[in-house]
Amino acid sequence: MVMASHGRAPWYGPDGKNVEAYVIGIAGGSASGKTSVARAILSALNYIPTVLILSQDAFYCAHTPEEIELAFNNDLDLDHPNSIDTPLFVKCLLDLKQGKATEIPVYSFVHHQRMPEKKYIYGASVIIVEGIMALQAPELRALYDLKVFVNCDSDLMLARRIKRDVKERGRDVDGILDQYLRFVKNSYDNFVQPSSRYADIIVPGSSNQLAIELLVTHVKRQLDTRSLRFRRMLAEAGEERSKARSRASTLVDGQTDSGSEDNVVLLEQTNQLLGIMTILRDRTTDRGEFIFHADRLSTIVVEKALTLIPCEPKTIRTPLGIDYQGLARDDRLVGISILRSGGPFSHGLRRVIRDVPIGAMLIQSDPRTGEPLLLKSDLPASIKSRDTSGEVKVLLLDSQMGTGAAAMMAIRVLLDHGIKPLNIIFLTYIITEPAIHSVHRAFPEVKIVTASIDPELSEMHIPYNSDSLSLGEGPISAGEADFATRTIPSTPSMGEEEVKEKQKPDPRDALKTEAELSSNKFKVQVKETEKLKFSRVHNRGESGEKRAWVISPGKLALDEDGMITRF
Amino acid sequence: MSSPNPTTTCLPASGSNVHKVELPENALVLAPTRQLQSLLTIIRDEKTQRGDFVFTSDRIIRLLVEEGLNHLPVISKKVTTPTGKVYDGVAFQGRICGVSIMRAGEAMEAGLRDCCRSVRIGKILIQRDEETYQPKLFYAKLPDDIANRYVLLLDPMLATGGSCIKAIEVLLEHGVEEEKILFLNLIASPEGIQKVCTRFPKLRIITAWVDEGLDSNSYIVPGLGDFGDRYFL
Repeated sequence: MVMASHGRAPWYGPDGKNVEAYVIGIAGGSASGKTSVARAILSALNYIPTVLILSQDAFYCAHTPEEIELAFNNDLDLDHPNSIDTPLFVKCLLDLKQGKATEIPVYSFVHHQRMPEKKYIYGASVIIVEGIMALQAPELRALYDLKVFVNCDSDLMLARRIKRDVKERGRDVDGILDQYLRFVKNSYDNFVQPSSRYADIIVPGSSNQLAIELLVTHVKRQLDTRSLRFRRMLAEAGEERSKARSRASTLVDGQTDSGSEDNVVLLEQTNQLLGIMTILRDRTTDRGEFIFHADRLSTIVVEKALTLIPCEPKTIRTPLGIDYQGLARDDRLVGISILRSGGPFSHGLRRVIRDVPIGAMLIQSDPRTGEPLLLKSDLPASIKSRDTSGEVKVLLLDSQMGTGAAAMMAIRVLLDHGIKPLNIIFLTYIITEPAIHSVHRAFPEVKIVTASIDPELSEMHIPYNSDSLSLGEGPISAGEADFATRTIPSTPSMGEEEVKEKQKPDPRDALKTEAELSSNKFKVQVKETEKLKFSRVHNRGESGEKRAWVISPGKLALDEDGMITRF
Repeated sequence: MSSPNPTTTCLPASGSNVHKVELPENALVLAPTRQLQSLLTIIRDEKTQRGDFVFTSDRIIRLLVEEGLNHLPVISKKVTTPTGKVYDGVAFQGRICGVSIMRAGEAMEAGLRDCCRSVRIGKILIQRDEETYQPKLFYAKLPDDIANRYVLLLDPMLATGGSCIKAIEVLLEHGVEEEKILFLNLIASPEGIQKVCTRFPKLRIITAWVDEGLDSNSYIVPGLGDFGDRYFL
């Protein structure tokens, strides 16, 4: 897996469904140069954040002890289509194409055996599959968006093969030649070469720069059309969302029109809770006070969320010798904190469940587009493995949900790992109504536990929101805290509410033409952006030190300079 | 401004919590969630080691303290948020202090401090007089201005109610108003609750669970054994 860019933009539509990855299949004789073609494509696609090269070698079948003995004597035919575990190959590739996490087997040529460990792979937008049998199975061919065959002279292939196997796979020349004549040549003539008829394009195995250039140009064009489609989808959904919102706002007296509202749990608005929220929202609250109360609130929210976790009956004996019918909590529970604003929550979670595994996702918004970017995800082993992830309950932690964009990305990552949506509980201090709508339209089964619901986005201001990394400078100088404050809704999607407000009838507007009005609006937006830019530079100069990533335990690899130069 | 709110209820709907008795109005029981039941299962289990016992009971104590604090008065307060908007909030009103009944009650002090950092905490030691079998005050160290404060009285187990009543009498003698006393308790017996609530109708008891009753040795059944021993020794 190569991370060639700064982060992964949304790979799903606003409906929460994945956009499929682009899959290229590259076949060709052994040592024909498949890998170098794959690498060349990879380096030409360096602007794609996640490109994966998947080798067919990983999918050799597991061998019996007899077969292993044969293999050590160079008597095992690894060049027959049957030696590939095609069903597993198809399953893994399908998972990856659909954007799900998968675990691929590991095959060792030194031990001639599939190893017990598996390799976890997640999050590729382009997948390059290479192998001699890559175009062989029809099930595999069906998954490719582009099929490539690398054609090369037999003598060149043999020469390369001898060189490689001696050097990289620890074989001797006699064995290699013997194996070549008995298996490799047969296989090439009978299976590999004939599969070239399925290829969309045939690339020479040497001096192939021009062919690769053509290939890459095609792939880039294909990817471009995809991303365009995606952006349009987002825009359309935005309109739908605002329609839905206006519909919702016409319902008065807390009438709700959808069952999904049941999945939003608002803490009882007790005196203490209101008091804590007052302290958190107050601009004059000092940092120590703010952190203390945010921390206290986190425990209350976590305790509330845990009441949603199922329990099983358990009989125990008390010190008085009496049997007691009790309950035991399901312990397949993990926390995932959306960095860095989920940080304060992970402390509260630990206070409630000492040994809970806490993973992290670093999601930031792209300053140019406002779209969330997944920069890093560290997930507990129970989520990474498909065998266990179906039963895991996940507490997703983030201090506030503004647009819901980061939340949706985090939820999508979990679903891609096979977590059931009804096993996801999102914990937050403040959520906005638009965010509830967008998250629940995409993922109606996900539960949300929140301390407070704000009607609109422009009221957001408490602890640091991942969307607002760039908006550091508020009245409580945000850079100083583990939390930041939002000063102005900046990106177009966040600005919606503001624009709406401005659209309220203003007597002066009657005199203006529509063009004037819209240009006015535009100017306002521009001004805000300028201010933000300034505040960021300013912030960096003054309190760069203090903005260090405090909460995550030494795991973050985000380069602040990188963030700023990109702006 | 201290009306009972939805988290507490005198008679939980499930009925799984309250046994055979109707609770007086000034006794409040935490909502019997599955989570609370699983926590109680851990601390009741005789196999539970001290580490888990302390951690788990601290968790319940925190729930109790948070609930108890909800019964303190607030006044409305408008604040300006960092975005410049005005938020209609509330501010805590009235000063509080904690009083723990030694020694098990001391286990609850940390939970109180976790929620109120600089809270004053007094202590009362009450033991049974070997001659009269009546609870007797051995030691009391209370804040000077306790008469002006709300008092959170801390004792995890309420069995017969003897020492609890004695402690409350001590508080009243120090000028604390009865309606300003909140008694926080982990596990109570129906007998104990009845006794305390009848004697002091204006005080409020907040407990996590009401057990079946008392055995011949006046231990709470099914109970969890001696809380102080399991927490400290």
